[in-house]
Amino acid sequence: MIRLFKVKEKQREIAENANGRAPVKKQSAGELRLHKDISELNLPKTTTIAFPNGKDDLMNFEVTIRPDEGYYRGGMFVFTFQVSPVYPHEAPKVKCKTKVYHPNIDLEGSVCLNILREDWKPVLNINTIVYGLHHLFTEPNYEDPLNHEAAAVLRDNPKMFESNVRRAMSGGYVGQTHFTRCTC
Amino acid sequence: MTESKTKYDRQLRIWGEQGQAALEKASICLLNCGPTGSEALKNLVLGGVGSITVIDGSKVEEGDLGNNFMVDDSSVGQSKAKSVCAFLQELNDAVKAKFVEESPEALIETNPSFFSQFTLVIATQLVEASVLKLDRICRQTNVMLICARSYGLTGMVRISVKEHTVIESKPDHFLDDLRLNNPWPELKRFAESIDLNSTDPVVHKHTPYVVILVKMAEEWANSHGGRLPSTREEKREFKDLLKGKMIGLDEDNYKEAIEASFKVSASRGISSGLCQILNDSSAEVDSVSSDFWVMVAALKEFIANEGGGEAPLEGSIPDMTSLTEYYINLQKIYQAKAEADFLAVEQRVRNILKRIGREPYSIPKTTIKSFCRNARKLTVCRYRPIEEELNSPVLSELQKYLTDEDYSAAVGFYILLRAVDRFAANYNRFPGLHVGEMDEDISRLKTIAVGLLGDLGCNGSALTEDLINEMCRFGVAELHAVAAFIGGVASQEVIKLITKQFVPMSGTFIFNGIDHKSQLLAL
Amino acid sequence: MTNTGKWRDLDKLLSRPGNLVNPGFEPSPELKDDLGEYTKVLVVGAGGLGCELLKDLALSGFTNLHVIDMDTIEVTNLNRQFLFRLQDVGKPKAEVAAKRVMERVSGVNIVPHFCRIEDKDLDFYREFNIIALGLDSIEARSYINSVACSFLEYDSDDKPSEETIKPMVDGGTEGFKGHARVILPGVTPCFECTIWLFPPQVKFPLCTLAETPRTAAHCIEYAHLIKWDEVHSGKAFDADDPEHMQWIYSEVRNWHSSVNMILIVLLFILLTLAILSQALKRAELFGIPGVTYSLTQGVVKNIIPAIASTNAIISAACALEALKIVTACSRIMSNYLTYNGLEGLHTKMTEFVRDKDCLVCGPGILLELETSITLQKFMELVGEHPKLLLSKPSVTYQGKTLYMQAPPVLEEMTRSNLKLPLFDLMDKMSKDVIHVTGMTNKDDKKTSCLRKLRIVFKGVDGITDVDMASGA
Repeated sequence: MIRLFKVKEKQREIAENANGRAPVKKQSAGELRLHKDISELNLPKTTTIAFPNGKDDLMNFEVTIRPDEGYYRGGMFVFTFQVSPVYPHEAPKVKCKTKVYHPNIDLEGSVCLNILREDWKPVLNINTIVYGLHHLFTEPNYEDPLNHEAAAVLRDNPKMFESNVRRAMSGGYVGQTHFTRCTC
Repeated sequence: MTESKTKYDRQLRIWGEQGQAALEKASICLLNCGPTGSEALKNLVLGGVGSITVIDGSKVEEGDLGNNFMVDDSSVGQSKAKSVCAFLQELNDAVKAKFVEESPEALIETNPSFFSQFTLVIATQLVEASVLKLDRICRQTNVMLICARSYGLTGMVRISVKEHTVIESKPDHFLDDLRLNNPWPELKRFAESIDLNSTDPVVHKHTPYVVILVKMAEEWANSHGGRLPSTREEKREFKDLLKGKMIGLDEDNYKEAIEASFKVSASRGISSGLCQILNDSSAEVDSVSSDFWVMVAALKEFIANEGGGEAPLEGSIPDMTSLTEYYINLQKIYQAKAEADFLAVEQRVRNILKRIGREPYSIPKTTIKSFCRNARKLTVCRYRPIEEELNSPVLSELQKYLTDEDYSAAVGFYILLRAVDRFAANYNRFPGLHVGEMDEDISRLKTIAVGLLGDLGCNGSALTEDLINEMCRFGVAELHAVAAFIGGVASQEVIKLITKQFVPMSGTFIFNGIDHKSQLLAL
Repeated sequence: MTNTGKWRDLDKLLSRPGNLVNPGFEPSPELKDDLGEYTKVLVVGAGGLGCELLKDLALSGFTNLHVIDMDTIEVTNLNRQFLFRLQDVGKPKAEVAAKRVMERVSGVNIVPHFCRIEDKDLDFYREFNIIALGLDSIEARSYINSVACSFLEYDSDDKPSEETIKPMVDGGTEGFKGHARVILPGVTPCFECTIWLFPPQVKFPLCTLAETPRTAAHCIEYAHLIKWDEVHSGKAFDADDPEHMQWIYSEVRNWHSSVNMILIVLLFILLTLAILSQALKRAELFGIPGVTYSLTQGVVKNIIPAIASTNAIISAACALEALKIVTACSRIMSNYLTYNGLEGLHTKMTEFVRDKDCLVCGPGILLELETSITLQKFMELVGEHPKLLLSKPSVTYQGKTLYMQAPPVLEEMTRSNLKLPLFDLMDKMSKDVIHVTGMTNKDDKKTSCLRKLRIVFKGVDGITDVDMASGA
């Protein structure tokens, strides 16, 4: 290739002047795949998406879920998504921004959803995750607990669980923990 | 101490403190400190070997500056051994670095006992005649030997050690030792204490697969006249049986059980590899036997008696979906059995030592423990004397390599690396040294190589013209990148030999820098 | 005549003809000089592989080298990063590595860059003829790969134009294992074509960590995650980059470098101890053995065990290939070498194939457009183009979202672009790559797909025409 390098040396100047400035930013393969995922989003009607950094940063966005059935009906829960440049090789990082009384979401917002960690596969997409999150609100389960207390109550006393959820969502205390209002 | 622990952290995670201690005790001798030797030593000095002794009789020439990082402009005219030694010392002051300004060939000739002080000798860029003498010397005094050579875009590495035994072979993938095909009473009892039909879904999906399989295998055996699933059909049925026990689709423990169900059907007893070691004549021990073989003798007795045909239990279990409590209990049951097996082996080791007239406690407990834990992975490597390989290589293998496309370049280089030494012996220089004599050298080298193959009883037509041309084109050049590769391989084998961990390569490694289709030749 | 000069050995390979060489090999005594004079090499990473690469390249006749690395030297580097000494701890790796090699090998010039690879613009990378990667992360490899592939141009027959190929040699090691590969964008598979070769990191289920921990690693990982939250909840931290490393660096970036280093080390020790203490509590609670400082460090820093010999072997293979790519003095490996020294010694060469539709290195589809065409018109064209037939297209250009069909919020934000000329939206570049997602019919089934398009605007003055002509 060395002969090419010699030629290139001479060509460089011409090329620089003619082709104008080169874009500094290159899209990563992750961004492109995400662009596809986003453009094909088919969200449940209870769900909305927002891009706090505007239309040119798709890698960080928020999904809001407003369950219309189950224990969490009437609530509003915001999740932040952070997508890596090697997406979908790596799962997006998802956190629940709204403090919620939920057996599978802890008070720091960590979410126990298999496809976000151990079962993530590159064929999955953002839509799958959103549906998975949605499912957590219609069918919270006590078998994979992150919030141990909430899981125990759900298992042993669903009535009390329901009232705890109500109390938390309307901005009150469950045990020692205070929740901010998140009903809409 | 703490500083060296930090410094060596990334390698301690691989060979542990024991491996590091072995390295720090080792004394390494390097013959010829061109780039191949310098690079091999560099990697060992960084890793913290005890001491190095660099032997080279030449002075640094200008040409050394273009391929050896362990000399610089100011070294020209100085002793190469001295310059290289000084630069190596810079890399790690914990290493004792010495040099001897003398030609390795002369040393081999005049002072063979010199080599007995070392743990291991790395011989680089030596011609065949010297290698053969050195191999004899090293074998007589039980000094390990590694020969390494870079030659243009080819090169070779060969270990020569009478016998190398490995307890911690640390293979990458090795089947865990769960004994699901042959559970012992305590494990069975634990399994019996757990109800697979628990109504608590949390318990149901967190019952470890070991328990599921022990129980289900028992159930199967009860309805199949005491047999375990063995045919393909039965194995499928057994899996279906497991599937039938699931109450939810997301029960990872059952998925793990189905995936591991083959472990129930695995044949009992020890592997053929271990069997071979037990039946080795060295396992009949006497007062001069090594600790390794004494322990093998004890192992053999254990398997025939307490072990009931099985090696001592390893004692560790892989992570699996489980309640913490179940898992911890399971861990304890496996550990207890391993401890009991170890105690039985230890007793036998002590008895054997007494019998052969050695101090019964001369083998430390920790060594026996490690031996038991790794009993299924024991490895014994033996290397033919180099002279034997050169005079009578395994002909069937050689024939095979010569006709196998994947091996043809490697075996071609193997022959040509020997042929250039004959060439040098005949003409007092290597082929292709001078451009003017290139054509002549090519035909001379060809004659020698074909003759060499003929002596071995093989047809010379397998050697391609292209390869012979290439060998002459190399003109005994030692390219830095090739030397760094060959030296790197040599140093890695040194580490395996000294730490007595992992498995050193067997046979002769032939580097093919043209298309990187390097091969190990078992000759 | 025998050459007794400094390059006595290398010259034999470069000045003598051979039959097992790469096409285009022109042996001559001047080849070595040209190699030095005309070849500019970038070494990415000055760690275990980077140190070796710099040495190997300097002693393979390359004289014009640059090295980029954002890290400073740590004590744990010293068992393999042979260009560093104890007294160098805290100094930038790139600078010390460059200095040491220049001191030892006369005539070699190495320019260090103590910064992140993302801090350099495309013009920086454009300067290099070949890039050698000594990295340990998928993200960084993917980034450099996309940069190198962005220079690649195809002619009108979808053949890569040779002068735009930016070759890469890439190495990686873990313990006794490693790989070396050659990437000639447009000719051999790029990193993205074979990203599946890198298995995703194993992640424990969160609920296992929280409820049924069984191993020491589970306890540590839990403490790690929890600690992380505690560290962050107190600060209005912009979680742009979620890694600890990045966080700590950004915290102290503007401080004096020596303070920097001490702080980083201290922060790490404190963080590790805090996590260790939590993990120990947890392990005690559950009766789990085996939680140690060393293991905690391993989890927190995601430590990959590393030794000198493997790095030496892999780097040597990479450097040798770099020499062959540039001079054609021997065949170039094709194209992926794996090395395993764990049980015996195994080397294997695998010839992977390119993903023809790779979004990063693939040719995409060439479209020649008028500068007047609007985005709307362009999208209609994409629907009618026989090679595309994409309905409902969404369009993105170099990180700018030009139009999105969904979700409604983005559609609304991008709708106003529809009537603008595409040429303007593409910053009036005479030619560039653009990506379109849409639905297409495949075997009578609607499937979605993402396509790369090479747009060339007609009649825009520039090098374009020359390139197209010479490439054909």
